Amino acid sequence: MPDWIQIVLRALSLVIILFFMTKWLGTKQLSQMNIFEYISGVVLGGIVAIHASTLDSPYYYAPLAMFIWFIVPYMVELISLKSKSFRNFTQGKSKVVIQNGKIMEDNLKKEHYSTDDLLENLREKNIFKVADVEFAVLEPTGKLSVLPKKENQPLTAKDLDIKLAPEREPQTVIMDGKVLLEPLANLSLNTNWLETELDKLNVSIENVFLGQVDSHGQLTVDLYDDKIAVPSPSQKPLLQATMKKTQADLELFALATENEDSKQMYEKNSKKLQEALDIVSPYLK
Amino acid sequence: MTVGSQVKSCYSTIKSVEANLETLAIQSNEREATEAFHKAQAIVREIKKDLDKQVILLSQEEPQYKQ
Repeated sequence: MPDWIQIVLRALSLVIILFFMTKWLGTKQLSQMNIFEYISGVVLGGIVAIHASTLDSPYYYAPLAMFIWFIVPYMVELISLKSKSFRNFTQGKSKVVIQNGKIMEDNLKKEHYSTDDLLENLREKNIFKVADVEFAVLEPTGKLSVLPKKENQPLTAKDLDIKLAPEREPQTVIMDGKVLLEPLANLSLNTNWLETELDKLNVSIENVFLGQVDSHGQLTVDLYDDKIAVPSPSQKPLLQATMKKTQADLELFALATENEDSKQMYEKNSKKLQEALDIVSPYLK
Repeated sequence: MTVGSQVKSCYSTIKSVEANLETLAIQSNEREATEAFHKAQAIVREIKKDLDKQVILLSQEEPQYKQ
């Protein structure tokens, strides 16, 4: 057999073996790997590279070596899934580098992490002042996870005591001008409903590039023809405005009337309407 | 516009608000949202009843504007 055919056969078979081995080793990203996993990956590649391009060693050496370098990381991964202490040993533990706003110099030293490294990693998280950090952990992968002090954290609706309507994931119901039936059924809607909604927007389904329905049953579309303006959803803002206007009207009537009974009735209902408005306004946004 | 017709238009607006709330309650898949819309709808319905009475009362007080 000529050499070149041997090379072709070796390379092809080794590529296939390598493909399956990396598949079985898991789907971790390169950045999430620890050093051991990283090195075993490189060694696997190296074995394939050597045996695919030279004919010095017998063919079966390659699968043998690859098998060893595959089975050891595989077993390590398997055992570390079961045992926490083994996991700590193989994958390393995360080290606290800043606690209660104070830098833990000893831990930094142990991890061979210089002050410049720390500052650099903090800057990557948009923190330029160590004093702004409450807690920081150096992960086994070498990444720094940072918890800023409460006053430096982004403001959330919870902090402001604002009630927000819960919202689930929107469903994509139209893609490339075609109706997707399964997501539509997930929302317990049907094609008739979709056609009605599209009629309301005055567009035909062939012109819709992408259409999504949120959990409140609101359809939003993107058209192929970007020159056509699609009316933005108006039902809810309109309802809110109407309720506000009616509430103001009732107050006005209460002020205008001289009949005591009517005045009280208007005032009471104005208050009631305000109450109703407060209940639904989170859902009308 | 007389007071009677003003209240009447207010009454019809309230009616449409009630219907809108009902539509939204049916449309929504979120249990909390549906409950909120139903609650608001119940309140609006009470207001509607009161206004209905007021419309009748005013039409009796302003018979000259009745067509």
